[in-house]
Amino acid sequence: MGYRDVAKVGLGGPVGSGKTAMVKQLVPRLDEAGYNVGVIANDIMTQADAEQLQESFAGRLPEDLVAGVETGACPHTGIREDPSMNLAKVDEFTEAHPELDVVLIESGGDNLAATFNPELADFFMFVISVAEGDDIPAKRGPGVTQADLLVINKTDLAPYVDADLDVMERDAQAVRGEEPTLFTDCKAEDGIDEVVDAIERSVLFA
Amino acid sequence: MTDSGAFLTALRLSDSMLPVGTYTASYGVEQYINKGYIETGEELGELIKGYLQGVIGPAEIVALGHAHRAAAAGDLDGVLAADDRLGAATLPAEFRESSEKAGGKLLDLLAETDNGPFGTVEVDGIVADYRNAVDEGRTAGHYPVALGVVAQRAGLGCREAAVVSAYSTVAGLLGAAQRLGRFGHTDIQSQLSRLFPVIEDVCEQYRDAELGAMYSFAPLADVMGMTHERADRRLFMS
Repeated sequence: MGYRDVAKVGLGGPVGSGKTAMVKQLVPRLDEAGYNVGVIANDIMTQADAEQLQESFAGRLPEDLVAGVETGACPHTGIREDPSMNLAKVDEFTEAHPELDVVLIESGGDNLAATFNPELADFFMFVISVAEGDDIPAKRGPGVTQADLLVINKTDLAPYVDADLDVMERDAQAVRGEEPTLFTDCKAEDGIDEVVDAIERSVLFA
Repeated sequence: MTDSGAFLTALRLSDSMLPVGTYTASYGVEQYINKGYIETGEELGELIKGYLQGVIGPAEIVALGHAHRAAAAGDLDGVLAADDRLGAATLPAEFRESSEKAGGKLLDLLAETDNGPFGTVEVDGIVADYRNAVDEGRTAGHYPVALGVVAQRAGLGCREAAVVSAYSTVAGLLGAAQRLGRFGHTDIQSQLSRLFPVIEDVCEQYRDAELGAMYSFAPLADVMGMTHERADRRLFMS
């Protein structure tokens, strides 16, 4: 068993777009759907952060399937040019838990150019927030254009930051062609089931 | 055999950590990817093989070899001739600009770090004369030419200098592609390893060539380089 034997889902996106909130929503749903899940978070700053993440999934995931990987202050490098340390962590997961079905790999907060190495993530979702500006899709960052799924999160904040969701949807479609885009609100748990469906269809039923 | 000091300089000059801005250049690769012409590692490897055989060998390595021989002879005019010729053979404006900026930065860095990391390189004589010529706008300061001069003064032979230059360019192009497209890291390394014999061949074939034999023939890369100037999305300077 090694990293090639398990489905790997990458979550990338800017700082504060809601990647961790998304992971916290996805894990229980995947778990309840009967999948054995592991979680790797890149660039955890303190041991307290790591413990907080483990605590979130206590009773649901074995403690050793929730881990941090530090990327030497280079979040891009860890998920793209040299994902070897993330892959080593996935190897550790699969050795200890051969029954593992899927690993969620959360990138450190980054910019719009961050993309996942296809050897590290079989499915790559890019999470942006409406609060970062409704012109983000139109900027055509590689994260937005290349992701298998674009998630536009924090839709509840749109009225407070003058973000036009129709504009974001139109621009996302224009720059992504037929690749899907979903709107979510992790706080109200809106749109999360659709994200789980997309993951299941793309990498778990395949 | 190259002495260890010169070998260390070769390693330093080939290292992507060298702060001369080469990471900002894609020499048209960004536009190939924007257009959807390059999608697989195999296609990328073939493209870079084309760069090696059409541009890096017959233009850059010829310029570097000539600059290396001119530096050994203390012949500044010879170095400037290599610069002129390489500029004339490089059609896309952005390619010239990327090369000139990196060359200038290499010479600036040397001047700053005379007693530091480049302590083995004599920042006097021809290196200083060449830098002055660049500063005064008398010559462009193309990267392969600057590299040839610096490498010669650091005690590197022409063969090693040519390999350093070709390897750095290839690694830069592969790195740019990896940041722009979806290529796996082992795929990129496979392509790099596949390109090693081509790097060796073009360095062997062109490093002793006369300046008059210089040519560059990569028409589609030139077109990509020119259309990149007006591309909707630009993450690279070239």
